[in-house]
Amino acid sequence: MANIRCVNIRKSYGGHSVIENLNLDIADHEFVVFLGPSGCGKSTMLRMIAGLEEISGGTVSIGDRDVTHLHPGERGVAMVFQSYALYPHMTVEENIAFGLRRQKVPQAEITRRVQHVAGLLGLESFLERKPKNLSGGQQQRVAMARAMIKTPKLFLFDEPLSNLDAKLREKLRTEIRKMHLDLKTTTIFVTHDQLEAMTIADRIVLMRAGAIEQQGTPSEIFDRPATRFVADFIGSPAMNFRDCMVSRNGDTVELSAGSLRLQVPSDEFGGLADGTTVEVGLRPSKMDLAAPGDLNAIPGKIILVENMGSDGQIIVDVDGQEMSFVTKAFRSLEPGQPVSFAIDPTSIHVFSKETGRSLRKAV
Amino acid sequence: MNNRRFLFWTLTPGFAVLAILALISIAGALYFSVMDRSLRYPDYHFAGLYNYQRLLSDRRFLNALQISATWEIVTVVGSLVVATLLSVLIFETVKSFWLRNLICFAFLAPVLLPRVAAAFIWRFLYSPSLGLINYLASLLGFGPVEFLANPSLALMSVAIVDIWQWGLFFTVIMLKLLETLPKDPIEAAQLDNAKTWEIHAFVTLPMLKAPIISLALVKAVESLRSFDLIYVMTGGGPGTATETLDLYAYQAGINLGGRISYASAMSILLLVLTTIVFTLIWRGIRKWSV
Repeated sequence: MANIRCVNIRKSYGGHSVIENLNLDIADHEFVVFLGPSGCGKSTMLRMIAGLEEISGGTVSIGDRDVTHLHPGERGVAMVFQSYALYPHMTVEENIAFGLRRQKVPQAEITRRVQHVAGLLGLESFLERKPKNLSGGQQQRVAMARAMIKTPKLFLFDEPLSNLDAKLREKLRTEIRKMHLDLKTTTIFVTHDQLEAMTIADRIVLMRAGAIEQQGTPSEIFDRPATRFVADFIGSPAMNFRDCMVSRNGDTVELSAGSLRLQVPSDEFGGLADGTTVEVGLRPSKMDLAAPGDLNAIPGKIILVENMGSDGQIIVDVDGQEMSFVTKAFRSLEPGQPVSFAIDPTSIHVFSKETGRSLRKAV
Repeated sequence: MNNRRFLFWTLTPGFAVLAILALISIAGALYFSVMDRSLRYPDYHFAGLYNYQRLLSDRRFLNALQISATWEIVTVVGSLVVATLLSVLIFETVKSFWLRNLICFAFLAPVLLPRVAAAFIWRFLYSPSLGLINYLASLLGFGPVEFLANPSLALMSVAIVDIWQWGLFFTVIMLKLLETLPKDPIEAAQLDNAKTWEIHAFVTLPMLKAPIISLALVKAVESLRSFDLIYVMTGGGPGTATETLDLYAYQAGINLGGRISYASAMSILLLVLTTIVFTLIWRGIRKWSV
C-alpha cells in the first residue's frame, strides 16, 4: 500500500509536448479515476506511473520512494490492460502465476495463492484453459487475478471494461469496487466513460489536453463543475448551454435570452456585471415540469419524448434552440405540445464567456 | 460461372503440369532403378531390386546418408538459432527505424546471391593462402586453417555459408514478426518483473511458435537442395567428408561412374526416405503445436 506523488511531470514525443508540469498527489488506499476525452493524456499518465512510458521531466514516487527511473517490474505496481494482455499460449493458471514464477516464489506457495485468487474471482474451473477459450469477461477476470496475486502497492487499470458489453461492464465495475473495499490497495483507474468514473471513484481527476481540469469527489465534479468543459463532459443527458444577458436588480440577478428568464441570488456568484453576456448551464436531470407562471419556468414546444425506462428525456424547442430536461411524468407528453419546465436556482451554473470558468463562488 | 468451376479451371492447368513433370521424372527414375543401365554400354536388362540391395551394403551410401542427416540438422537448427538470437538482439537494441531497415536490407543481400556466387566468395574467404579469414587468424597467431581441406572442418565450413545466407534472411523475417506482435503482453511481462531474456523466452517466441515452425520446414526442404553450394565449395571432398546423398548420386550416375540405374535407385530411396521423415515430422508438429 502506498501513496503516489507526481511532481512537475512532463511528457513530450519529439518536440511535441503532451503533458506539461502536472502535479498530483494520491493518498494511501485511495481509488482515483483519471477521466477525460481520448487524447487528453490520461493513459500516458498511467503508463508513466507504471514505468512503461519514459518520463520526459519531473518525478514519480510510490510510497515515498522515487521510482522515476526504475524498471516497471521493480515499482511494485500491477496493471490491467484494456486488451487484457494475457499470454495467449499459456493456460489461465500459468498466466496468473507468471509473475510469481519470475520472482522465484516456491511452487507450493504459488499453487496456494493461485487457488486463493482464482477462488476470489470465480476462476477455479478455468485454470487449465487457454485464454482464447474464455469469454471477454472471463479473460478480464484472469487479467485481474494476474494483477491481484502479486499483492502490489498500486493497482493500475487502463480502460479495463471498454471491450465488454454494458451488463458485464456494470458487474465487473461492482467487483472492482468491492475488491478495493477488501484489499484497500491504492488504485488508479483510467476511463473515458463518465458514468463509470462517477460510480467507482473516491476522487475523479478530470483531464483535458494534458492538464488537470478539475479534481474532486464525484459529487463535487457533478454539482460544482469548475469549468464549462467539465460541466459539458460530466452528466448524461448532457447539460444545456445558453448565452444569457445579465441584468442586476438589487439582490437578484436576472439572466435572460429570448423567452428564457432565470433569477439567481447575486451573492452566490461573482463577476456578474450588469449588461455582460455569460453562458448558463442547466442540467436536464435537475429540471422538471412546471406551471407556466412558476419561478424560472422555461416555455417551449416538445419536439421529441425519449423513453429511458423510469425517466423520459424531453427535447424541447425554446426560441428555435433545442433544450432538454428529464422527467418521470413523460408518459402524458406528446411531441407538438407546449410545455414549461423549471430549475432550482441552486442548480444553475454560470460560466464566463472568456475563460469558461464557473462564476459560482466557492462555498 | 460458379465458384467451384472457377477454382477447377484455374487450378487444373497448374496442377496438371506439375503432376506430369513430377510423375514423368519419378516414373523414369523408378524404371531405371530396376534395370542395369550404365553409360558404358548401350544395352540394359531388367535387374529387379539388385540396385537397392547393393545400396544397403554400400558404405559410401551409408556415409552419404549420415552426412545428409547431419547437414539437415546443422543447417536448419543453425539458421533458426542465428535468426532467433540476432532478431531478438536487433529488436532490443536497435530502436531507430532507419537503422533497422538498413540492417534488414544488408541481411537480405546474402540470400539474393546465387548459391554458386556465394560458394565462390566463401571459397576465396576460406582460402589458406589468400583468404581474409586466415589472414585475420594469422594476426591472432593461429596458423593457416584448412577450412575446406580438413575433413573434420569441411562440412561445418560449408554449413556456415548456408547459415550465412539463410540465417540472416530468417533474421529479417523474425524481426518483422516480432514487430507485429501486440505490445501489451510484453508490457504485462515487464510489469511481472520478467527480465528481457525471459520476456522473449517465455512470451514473444512462444507466441511466434507457428511461424517459426513454418520457417523450420521451409529451411528443411531448402537444405535438401544444397547440391550446388557443396558441389562448388568442396565437390563432396575431402574424400567423402561432405558428400551428401544427392552429391553421391550425381557422382555415381553422371560424373564418374556412369551407373545410371544405381544412381536412380539412390534417388528413389532418397525420395521415399524424405517423404516418410517429413510426414512424421509434420504430424508430430501438428500434434505439438495445438
